[in-house]
Amino acid sequence: MQRVPRETNVRLAVDLGGLAMRNPVTVGSGTFGAGREYHDFVDVSTLGAVTTKGVSLNGWEGNPQPRIAETPSGMLNSIGLQNPGVEHLKAHELPWLAEVGATAVVNVSGHSMGEYVAVIEALEDAPVAAYEVNISCPNVDAGGMAMGCDPCQVEQVVGLCRAATARPLIVKLTPNVTDIAEIARAAEAAGADAVSLINTLLGMAVDARRRRPMLARVVGGLSGPAVKPVALRMVWQVARAVDVPVLGMGGISTGTDAVEFMLAGATAVAVGAANFANPHATVDVIDGIIDYCEEQGVSDVNELIGALEC
Amino acid sequence: MSQLVNEVTPVLVNEELGAGIWLLTVETPAIAAAARPGQFVHVRIPGMDDHLLRRPFGVYAADAQAGTVDVMYQVLGYGTRHLTTITPGAAVEMIGPVGRGWQPPAGCTRALLVAGGVGSAPLHPLACELASAGVEVQAVLGAGTADALVARERFGTALGCEPACSTDDGTYGRAGFCTPLVAEALERAAGEGRPFDYVACCGPEPLMRLVAGMAAEAGVFCEVSLERRMACGVGVCLSCVVDTVAGKRRACVDGPVFPAEEVVW
Repeated sequence: MQRVPRETNVRLAVDLGGLAMRNPVTVGSGTFGAGREYHDFVDVSTLGAVTTKGVSLNGWEGNPQPRIAETPSGMLNSIGLQNPGVEHLKAHELPWLAEVGATAVVNVSGHSMGEYVAVIEALEDAPVAAYEVNISCPNVDAGGMAMGCDPCQVEQVVGLCRAATARPLIVKLTPNVTDIAEIARAAEAAGADAVSLINTLLGMAVDARRRRPMLARVVGGLSGPAVKPVALRMVWQVARAVDVPVLGMGGISTGTDAVEFMLAGATAVAVGAANFANPHATVDVIDGIIDYCEEQGVSDVNELIGALEC
Repeated sequence: MSQLVNEVTPVLVNEELGAGIWLLTVETPAIAAAARPGQFVHVRIPGMDDHLLRRPFGVYAADAQAGTVDVMYQVLGYGTRHLTTITPGAAVEMIGPVGRGWQPPAGCTRALLVAGGVGSAPLHPLACELASAGVEVQAVLGAGTADALVARERFGTALGCEPACSTDDGTYGRAGFCTPLVAEALERAAGEGRPFDYVACCGPEPLMRLVAGMAAEAGVFCEVSLERRMACGVGVCLSCVVDTVAGKRRACVDGPVFPAEEVVW
């Protein structure tokens, strides 16, 4: 059954650096395709935005099998940004999202700085509400996290993307750094309209009996409830370090989880791995935020942003 | 693909059939009515919240009239072990029916189904469908031991005759692997001048690779049902990809059944 969020008088709309969202809930890139597969379960046009799977200029094959492992309260993935390339997204997915009335945020990937720019340029005439620049994927050899760990490279690639578009530019940060606030400040200085965090935490799992890693690439990105305390801490640190809004994510599966991220300073949140266990997770999170606001007498969800008392 | 549903499905039966292989019957009218042979359900098992992911199980039987779906599962890890503790009256949640099922060639008249272990489950609805369409169906079931040949009687009922069986330890049927039975069946059918026009195989990957090779040698179209570690089960996460001649494809929605000639083993 296709679900929609329940009716409420609570004002849910938020502004994420120029991206108008009807409510503060989007999805973690790579956990929701381009929305179509989950449209049987939730009306994707009712989400704050649909953030699409990372897209590169030409198709990428991704990593060998096995690509995932279940770990305590979480999962490791090493997909490697497999995608059919930006032209496929433009031809097949973005028109569908526009047709159903969804707000599309495109997650942009590249092996080089030039590739990020080329992907954005290719999308400038497509129905895209905002870009999320993925400089944080832990599962590729070039681009991704390699770029997102160095403030100078962050400034450079974000500056190039900034010059390529007037649309809202969200920069997705990796938690696999010593000081994520420093990276966030570099992104802001180069013109980011918002930052999103966290991408997955680099981890690994071992099959002791076979004496082999659980993932073909040995290491992968950890997500799920296991990472939530780390994600909350980083959202709180970054929200205090920059003036641009924060899109918070990492282990969110309920409305209360989402509210915690907003109190810590997030303007909006993304639901990631929870979609795999519960295909209605996005709407459940929106309903849970509404429940919280109604219970707490909150008339506008914006009142929650950074309202942590400490 | 038909529309997917996610339902809370009351458990009617959950019992061991033998050798750590269990039968789970749930009430799910929507999935029971829509399921095609070879499709699977993606099951969220309650009470194991620290193990997040769903478990995919091939549909062993779908009874549209009764509104029930049977799955067969082998206890292999935490999830399947935990599933054995779910008692009738409780419920599991499942997404289904998922995936591309068996697609026998049009005009198929004689089919050979080859199952290794719990690979018999997704082949059983195919056996029923082909047999009731008047196709001459033979089945080869292989298992480790006699008590692991849990689908033998249902296949017998579906086909109206005893399937050819093998056990690794010789406790039932031919001793050893089931591949010699497959070779003999292919040879006999060719010798009769009425070769098979379809081979369907599900079981351990080495078995499927061997059977695919034998079918190819005999010039018979063959399909196999592949299994991979899976997260979403709806086609988005790209965890379960299979190497094919057309690149990496998703076991969940592009499969789980693939023409064997497309699989890069």
